[in-house]
Amino acid sequence: MLTLTSSVEIWAHRLPAGAKLGALALGTVGLFALSSPLALGVAALAVLGLVASGGPRFLRESLLMLRPLWPFVLIVAVWHLVTGDISGGATVILRMGAAVAAANFATMTTRLAEMLAVIEALLSPLRLFGLAPRPMALALALVIRFIPVMLTRIEAISLAYRARSPRRAGWRILMPAALAALDDAEHVADALRARGGAG
Amino acid sequence: MDGIVLQDVHLDLGGKRVLSGLNLHLTERRIGILGRNGSGKSTLLRLMAGLIAPNAGVVRVAGLDPARERKAMLSEIGILFQNPDHQILFPTVIEELCFGLIQMGLTRAEAEARARAFLVAEGRSHWEAAATHRLSQGQRQFLCLMSLLLMSPRMLLLDEPFAGLDLPTQARLSRHLDALSQRMITISHDPGAVAGCERVLWLETGQIRADGPPGPVIAAFGAEMARLGAADADTDLFG
Repeated sequence: MLTLTSSVEIWAHRLPAGAKLGALALGTVGLFALSSPLALGVAALAVLGLVASGGPRFLRESLLMLRPLWPFVLIVAVWHLVTGDISGGATVILRMGAAVAAANFATMTTRLAEMLAVIEALLSPLRLFGLAPRPMALALALVIRFIPVMLTRIEAISLAYRARSPRRAGWRILMPAALAALDDAEHVADALRARGGAG
Repeated sequence: MDGIVLQDVHLDLGGKRVLSGLNLHLTERRIGILGRNGSGKSTLLRLMAGLIAPNAGVVRVAGLDPARERKAMLSEIGILFQNPDHQILFPTVIEELCFGLIQMGLTRAEAEARARAFLVAEGRSHWEAAATHRLSQGQRQFLCLMSLLLMSPRMLLLDEPFAGLDLPTQARLSRHLDALSQRMITISHDPGAVAGCERVLWLETGQIRADGPPGPVIAAFGAEMARLGAADADTDLFG
C-alpha cells in the first residue's frame, strides 16, 4: 500500500482525491452496467488512454501493477473457451481489466494522506452513532505505518531463529512475533500520549 | 514555579521499586542524567514527561502535574525516545510532522503549512511525501526531533539520543541540539554524551548517587564503572 503511490508525478496527482475516488466509483458502476463486449472494449481502451496519458514510464509501472490479474484472466479465458462462450469471456475479462486498471490509476496518483482525509470525511456520518472518525483514520494510518515495521521485526526474529537452528523458522516464530507486536504497541501508546493522545 | 520539581517521588513497576525518594529541582539549561542499564533513568524521563505517574510523591513541570495536564504539557515538554521506531506514528513524513500540531489545536491545513515551512527551513523539503520506514536510522531520529521542535516545547527530554547513530550523524545531531535554546535533559550511560551539561545527576538503582557539575560527577561515575567492570559485573537477577 505504501509503495502504491507512483513516484512518477503526472497531471492526475494534482486532482483532488475525492474527485478521483468519486469518478472511480461511478466509472466502476458504469462498467457493470455495460454488457456488450464492444462497449466494454471501448471502455477498456479509454482507461488505457487515461493511463498512457501519464507517459511511458507511468504506463509501464501501471502494466506491472496489473500482473496479479493474469492468473484470473487465464482461468476465465480457459473456462470460456472450453464452454464455447467467447463473448461472455471477453465481457468478464475486459470489465475486470478496465476496473482494476482504473482503480490502480486512482491509487497511484493519490498521496496516502489525501486518501486518509477522504476516508475520514466518508466516515464522518458515523458520528451520529457515537463513532468518531478521527480515531478511525488514525487507526488506519497506524496500520499502514506498522505493517512494514512488523514485517522487519518478523524477519529479524526468523533470522535469529535460523542463526541457531538448521531448520526454517516457519510458524514457530508466531508467538515471539506476537509478543514483539504487543511490546511495540506499548511504545506506540507512549508516543501517542507524549504528543497529545489519540483524541 | 519554573523547571521540574520532584518531591519525595517513589515509583514501582511490576511490583518492583524502580525510583525511590527522589527530591530534585531542575532549572539548568543543560542537564545530564547518567546511569547504568536498569538504573531507572528512562523511567525517570517518562515520569518527568508525564507518561507515567508516581506511586507516591509530587512531580511538577512549570508548576503543573505532567501526568494530568496533558494538553498544557504539549507546549512544555517534548520527549525524544531512544528508538525512533517507537516514536514515529505515521507512514509519511508530512503526517508525522503534522500530528503534534493538530493535537495542539491547529487545523490540518495550518499544520501542513507550518510543517512544510519547517522542512524548507531545514533544507529537507524533498522529505515531505517520503515513507517514514524508508528513512535511515539517523534520518528517522532527525524526523522525530523535527516533529518535537515543530511543537516548540520549552523543554526537551532526550533518551540516549546518540545511541545507534554513526559518528558523522552523531556530530550533526549534537551540533543541532547545541544550537537549540530550549532547556534540555539528556539521559545516557555514556559520560561523553553529558560532558557538556551544566549539571549532571548520577542515578543508581532508582536513587541519586551524585549531583553536581559534570567534572566530579563524571569522574566518580567513571571510576565506579571501571571498578564494577573489573569485578564480575551484572550477575544480579531481576527482583
